[in-house]
Amino acid sequence: MSSVVLSEEQLDRAFGALADPTRRAILARLAEGDAGVLEVASPFSMSQPAVTKHLRVLEDAGLISRHRLARQRMCHLEPQRLGQLSDWVGSYREYWEESFERLDDVLEEMQQAAEAPTGPTSKNTDLKKGEGT
Amino acid sequence: MTMNTMQTEIETPAGEPVIRVRRFFKAPPELVYKACTEADYIRRWMGPRRLEVSECEVDVRVGGTWRLVHRAPDGAEFVFYGELLELDPPRRRVGTFVWEGAPEDKAVETMELEAVEGGTLLKTTTVHSSVAARDMHVANGMEGGIVESYERLDELVAAEQAA
Repeated sequence: MSSVVLSEEQLDRAFGALADPTRRAILARLAEGDAGVLEVASPFSMSQPAVTKHLRVLEDAGLISRHRLARQRMCHLEPQRLGQLSDWVGSYREYWEESFERLDDVLEEMQQAAEAPTGPTSKNTDLKKGEGT
Repeated sequence: MTMNTMQTEIETPAGEPVIRVRRFFKAPPELVYKACTEADYIRRWMGPRRLEVSECEVDVRVGGTWRLVHRAPDGAEFVFYGELLELDPPRRRVGTFVWEGAPEDKAVETMELEAVEGGTLLKTTTVHSSVAARDMHVANGMEGGIVESYERLDELVAAEQAA
């Protein structure tokens, strides 16, 4: 799991870029491998400048990068950013798994506090009472 | 089935508006109950780390209400609330669960704690208002429809990882 925390601006850009079906289709194409602008543009009935504009949005969002190969400008998917977004969006499972891992830590601390002879006596009293309300 | 590992089991039975979650904890039921019920503890663990718990209140009594607010890094807030219906520490707790984004789906969550060797087995059963509401809740990953392309995103990541 990527631990990088994206800035608000980065998140806005990335989600903004993903909000468009054409741009998502471009990413799906690039997941299969790098491609030149013409190749990226071929499934769409739009002008090359229009496709170039979409590519720029994706590049600004950190979702793709572009490099020159011979005379072509090749587009490359940057999966790391997608991974960061996927982590950030999370899923039901991730939500609970990560919550429960944190709960493990909290429980361990509670147990240590309860066992520690030097710990505050009020905690021990709490535990004996069972559930405080 | 043994639950000696710390794995989270999540079941979403087909055709039932139900989510079942099971997880083993290395602590006695009394502590698990407390950590899952009292606001001071809940705020320390609920949610993934990137979602801050910006508010957490629980009025621990039958008929008492609870409210939890998650704040995402972009400032978006996700508000959850409900009412406690049954309290039977340290075995069982029943309450309602509502996400502010879909208040028509009032779910009923039952938490059961069973003392097992070496710790506690936590089981929650959440009954949503419909199968569709349940599915939406799971699909939204508790964060509520942030991106319609979320599934697409997973596909892309999976495709990239397979490549």
